[in-house]
Amino acid sequence: MPEPLGADGFGGVADAALELSGVDGVEVLLMHEWGGLTRFASSEIHQSTFREDTALSVRVVAGNRVGVTVTNECTPDGARAAARSAKEMAEVVGPDPSWPGLAPPADVPEVERYFDDTAGASPEIRAQGVASLVEACAPGCSAAGAYETLAGELALANTQGQRCWSPSTQASLTTVVTGPDGGSGFAETFTGSIDAIDPEAIGRRASGKALASPSPRELEIGRYPVVLEPAAVATLVGFLGWVGFGGKAYLEGRSCFSGKRDQQVVAPAISIWDDGADPRTLGTPFDFEGVPRSRVDLIHDGVFLDAVYDRRTAKEAGIASTGHGLPAPNPEGPFPLNLMMATGDAQLDEMIEATDHGVLVTRFHYTNVVNPIESSITGMTRDGTFLIERGEIAGPVRNFRFTQSIVDALSAVSMVGRDAELASEFFFSASSVPALKIEEFHFSGVSDH
Amino acid sequence: MDVLEVATAAMEAARRAGADYADARTGTDETESITVRNQEMAGIDRTTSTGIGIRVLVGGRWGFASTSRLDSAEIERTAALAVAIAKAAHRLPGTSVALAEVEPVVASWRGSMAVDPFTVPLEEKVALLMEASRLMQAVPGVSFAEAGMDFHRRSTWFASSDGARIDQVVVHSGGGTEATAVAEGDMQRRSYPNSFRGHVKAAGYEHIRTLGLIEEAERIGTEAVELLSAPECPSEVTTLVLDSGQMELQIHESIGHPIELDRVLGMEEAYAGSSWLTPADRGTTRWASDLVSVTADATLTGGLGTFGFDDEGVPAQATPIIVDGIFQNFLTSRETAPVVGQASNGTSRADGWSHLPLIRMTNISIEPREGTLAEIIGDTDDGIFMTTNTSWSIDDKRINFQFGCEMARRIEHGKLTTLYKDPNYTGLAPEFWGSCDAVGGREDWLVWGTPNCGKGQPSQTARVGHGASPARFRNVQVGVR
Repeated sequence: MPEPLGADGFGGVADAALELSGVDGVEVLLMHEWGGLTRFASSEIHQSTFREDTALSVRVVAGNRVGVTVTNECTPDGARAAARSAKEMAEVVGPDPSWPGLAPPADVPEVERYFDDTAGASPEIRAQGVASLVEACAPGCSAAGAYETLAGELALANTQGQRCWSPSTQASLTTVVTGPDGGSGFAETFTGSIDAIDPEAIGRRASGKALASPSPRELEIGRYPVVLEPAAVATLVGFLGWVGFGGKAYLEGRSCFSGKRDQQVVAPAISIWDDGADPRTLGTPFDFEGVPRSRVDLIHDGVFLDAVYDRRTAKEAGIASTGHGLPAPNPEGPFPLNLMMATGDAQLDEMIEATDHGVLVTRFHYTNVVNPIESSITGMTRDGTFLIERGEIAGPVRNFRFTQSIVDALSAVSMVGRDAELASEFFFSASSVPALKIEEFHFSGVSDH
Repeated sequence: MDVLEVATAAMEAARRAGADYADARTGTDETESITVRNQEMAGIDRTTSTGIGIRVLVGGRWGFASTSRLDSAEIERTAALAVAIAKAAHRLPGTSVALAEVEPVVASWRGSMAVDPFTVPLEEKVALLMEASRLMQAVPGVSFAEAGMDFHRRSTWFASSDGARIDQVVVHSGGGTEATAVAEGDMQRRSYPNSFRGHVKAAGYEHIRTLGLIEEAERIGTEAVELLSAPECPSEVTTLVLDSGQMELQIHESIGHPIELDRVLGMEEAYAGSSWLTPADRGTTRWASDLVSVTADATLTGGLGTFGFDDEGVPAQATPIIVDGIFQNFLTSRETAPVVGQASNGTSRADGWSHLPLIRMTNISIEPREGTLAEIIGDTDDGIFMTTNTSWSIDDKRINFQFGCEMARRIEHGKLTTLYKDPNYTGLAPEFWGSCDAVGGREDWLVWGTPNCGKGQPSQTARVGHGASPARFRNVQVGVR
């Protein structure tokens, strides 16, 4: 298996670029990742892969003109060639009056994110995990999904003297189980270490939902109370990060929270923050500009406090970067990659018991933005959507399309789950979120299954 | 050792390690991207990525491994890892993969291109974008005036244990503009020639020179500002006319994805989903009105899904998908085609050297019929016209969809009247396509590029094309809120 280059190995490569003469600044960013993925469908392993690749990104500054070249030749020669290419661009392109400069030296916290058994997980270990999941499903069920183990290192050096390096690992096991009568159920574990994955439990959970959801009936579209499991809540929170919490959109009046600092924007039960250093997330201790990641309280007790910033937007706002820069060039601006939502005191069963007539949603599918300033999104339910009647699950229902403002949904939260899960979202990184009970949620369409 | 020899050596290493079948792809991807915003540089970058992917069959199970290091020891290690991965797949019982036959070829192929975009001076590119940005920004009320260009070159060297030896190069060029107007609690955007980085084609820089980014800049800015004071698109069931650009994504999401045979067979079930189609639907199922015929054509000039050979060495070809409304064929690979008793129709492609090939759209195009967009609108008594995609969503079987557009206008007695902002529409795919009663002719039929099609785990991005005419649909729900 590949090994991390390490801080010293990276330094040897980066120095070759940092020595570039005739410029005002150079930054070298290393993103090195490797890992295997065992994919299964119809309870067979059908696609299994291993990948290793490196992106060595060199940003060169000439005055306030900036160029970036990315190569996967992670050698001193590759770094020098990338630096020369970036210099050529910096010398001919137009000025960037908002250029904030490279990050100054700063200490980054040490976080325990790298686990050897995950970095070195073999195809046999992943195949055994998949087999355990499949064998834990009820008879007649068919499982599909993926078991992935990833390792990587992120490192940065620049001519201002900032140097930082951080290795990390990830492991995830996700499945959709189809029951003998056509129902489907979803379950996943998303974590930093393979030790936290229990394939049998994941198989049992998804298979239980599949067996409970054959022959779904069609419900009228309309506004319903809903109980959202953490995977569904992760979609709301991930998209809120996209349309609400980025400093660039906030400063430009394009965020759903622009102009609403210190205002009550959602229910008092809701607090959301971003914290790359929290062990419950998979964050790195510094961002892609080499700035230490700060914990940023975005919404506290329902009050919007602030957005996240990179160096450019922080300069515009007259504050320090919060450490949320993405790899350069980045016209989209900063983004929160490690969102967390505060837990409450309710169990999922208690939320169901408190619902007279509503819908339980396991997860959403293929969600997209309808209107960013209204935080309005649309998507489908999937793999476990159930009618709740008089406090009990009353059977499966056909998948709904929802068209819903996230802010409005979070304003209607009446119960918050006691436990948070790290849940993935199709387009974004995983968020640590609890289940929620929301008193009104707009289902605008329905599918045929 | 030349690059094709590296691929051949890797394939042979996999065979020595125990592969029953092996192929190897050495590849280099090069990109250049420039973005200007409000006449300032917002980003400029170049990327280069080189490596090799080795795919093997051992006892009927796939294994795949890739590496960015091309020395012989690393290639031997990667080949052995691919074999070990395939062997591990036998931990569960399953069906043995039996590949459809394909004639192994030795060939070299180059996509058509007049002006290599990587040789055009950066100063010229930046000057064009700055001028387009200036003209948009000159419109009072425009808050952000963005213009961008993207270029991509993929060079691939393929060797299979069947005897294929293929090298090919494709070049894609694209550009576009985007004007954004922001007012209190509202934001409106207009894009040209299309949203999400413009119009991307398999072509050289000559394509950029034909786009008219400067000529259309003022109009785009003006429309963005006008939208701020326009009413929202009303909620109603009505006749809907879509322009060619929105038809591109309508075809992509509701026809292109459900015809992928790997989705139909459940191979994508846990991620992007499956399909409402089954193998039994071929040749019998009515999917659309008689006016709708759709073809998958990997030989189409200018399409992002145009190539000489797919990543299994199968020649590019044209396949009828829907003929006069009746579903005919899936997109297939060497692994899946035998399920429907066919040879592969050549759609297995990977997101570069580091990924396993999957069934991907080539150029999925609606066949042109008759009339221009203006004539279709002129023939419409009452309805809504929508243009330029902002948002897309579709269920896991590709039935229930909802799309948002940048701008709409009421059609009254054959004329465009009231401007509407924030339009969207929703429907069920077979009903929607069944309600199609006009498909435009060759005059307004354009080949669009979708360079960001996601699929697979690990996630892959494919570059695919769509030829699309404007079209009209009856009884469509618009204005979902």
